[in-house]
Amino acid sequence: MPQSKQDKNIERSWPKEGVIRVPAWIYSDPDIYARELETFHYGDTWNYVGLDCEIEPGGYKRSWVGERPVLVTRTEDGEIHVMENRCAHRGAMLCWKNSGKAKDITCPYHHWAYNLGGDLMGLPFLRGAGGKGGMPRDFDKSKHGLTKLRVARRGGSIWATYSDDVPPLDDYLGPEILERLDRLVSRRPLRLVGYSRQIVDSNWKLYWENSRDPYHATLMHPFLSTFGILRTDGDYDSVPLQEGRHEYTFSRYNPELRNSTSEASRQIKSIRSDLEMRDKEVVNSVVDEFQDGMMGAFQVFPTILVQQYFNCLVIRHIILKGPGKHELTWTYFGYADDDEQVRELRLKQSNLVGPAGFVSLEDSEMLALMQPVVESRPDAEQVIEMGGHGTEAQSTMMTENLIRAFYDFYRREMGL
Amino acid sequence: MNEWVRVASVDEVVEGEAFASERKGEAIALYREGDDIYAIGDVCPHETVRLSEGWLENGLIECPLHQSCFEIRTGKVIEGGAAYEDVACYEVKVEGGSVYVGEGRRP
Ligand code: FES
Ligand code: FES
Ligand SMILES: [Fe+2]
Repeated sequence: MPQSKQDKNIERSWPKEGVIRVPAWIYSDPDIYARELETFHYGDTWNYVGLDCEIEPGGYKRSWVGERPVLVTRTEDGEIHVMENRCAHRGAMLCWKNSGKAKDITCPYHHWAYNLGGDLMGLPFLRGAGGKGGMPRDFDKSKHGLTKLRVARRGGSIWATYSDDVPPLDDYLGPEILERLDRLVSRRPLRLVGYSRQIVDSNWKLYWENSRDPYHATLMHPFLSTFGILRTDGDYDSVPLQEGRHEYTFSRYNPELRNSTSEASRQIKSIRSDLEMRDKEVVNSVVDEFQDGMMGAFQVFPTILVQQYFNCLVIRHIILKGPGKHELTWTYFGYADDDEQVRELRLKQSNLVGPAGFVSLEDSEMLALMQPVVESRPDAEQVIEMGGHGTEAQSTMMTENLIRAFYDFYRREMGL
Repeated sequence: MNEWVRVASVDEVVEGEAFASERKGEAIALYREGDDIYAIGDVCPHETVRLSEGWLENGLIECPLHQSCFEIRTGKVIEGGAAYEDVACYEVKVEGGSVYVGEGRRP
């Protein structure tokens, strides 16, 4: 990315006010972006790569860690492996199908062949042809397997890391995330419902902030306030976790709110009494499968937001594609023992989220419009004062505490 | 009934080299060790390639593509490589300067 003279002269130091200000250059500076990848995605973190229901024994799926393509494979013995989707010979992409079955993985370029564990099984013309050419006699195939990542699993979720120092997955997640993750992926075997994928033309942190920002929800997503799913006067918690890395938010769903008008909701213009939802199943949880009346979401740094909207269960996976771009993969899931009614319901409610979701379509559009504006004034500062200056948990939607908590963590890790 | 098919003349099959031939449409290869001649299937069960193009050493033929090894006496695959199936092994007889092979079977 070309940098203007003015751009270069910006002082790369954090505003003296602390986490109530965020300097706009962190959303476009290529050096910052490169350091984020090294520090976070390729550093001491656990990266989500997929769900076990996506891969049968003898199968694979593609995923990403940071910008790097990886393969998640399952050998016939059921073991899961994660390895770079990069040929050890000269770096060709081995596999560009999203998922499938395979006995082994053969590179399309010079046909080096690897087993599903990532070991190099063989390569054509190792001994040359007609007594000429070939690899040197001391070429050791066992030293030229695919780059393997360390793998951890929790319930049906699969995680990978490049780090030897990161704490075990359970410690990395912490008890609050574990409880919420287990609630969704560890109690019953999972079933894949489907995917949506979208490219979002913004820095990944804008999206990361967006899902830590309950303040915008009822304002920018009129669907929420119009149909009473999430209103400013309901119970709501915004809780930062593990020094700001992760967070969870949750609200209690109260169908009564649709009919009442309290002071707070009167302030929101988008509540309209002339609109009615034809098919209320989209927002009425007819199956109370968790028996706790909660809806919520949580972020696990640096890759995912896990969300439950009624019976719609979805993981948003943020895949980095450069300083000004990321991909968002939405994986919808359910349970292997779902009956017909629940299967139907999960599909219907999946309309709520995704690239064109009733309550998410505005996010990526807003961020794509925002990115060039933010880039055009790298010297400007974001104002993060809603809910005060603190980083502790709060019981309101009218707060940016989770964004402050994130940048508190971010500054420490990045040395900014 | 075992049908014998002529596949080579004896002096075509020399020590240290594979001799590629075919028996009723099946690709086979002949190998010599001293006075003995062996015949095994010549198509690698991993991907379709002729083993006789590969490397012959210590009684093993090594596939040119991904180095799966097979015993030339029996067609047995050496485990741990890309291929995990054996190739067929054929009965061999030498008569009047010609090599004949019978029906193939897996070891
Ligand atoms: S780059 Fe994969 S075999 Fe050459
Ligand atoms: S083709 Fe023979 S080992 Fe792959
Ligand atoms: Fe949003």
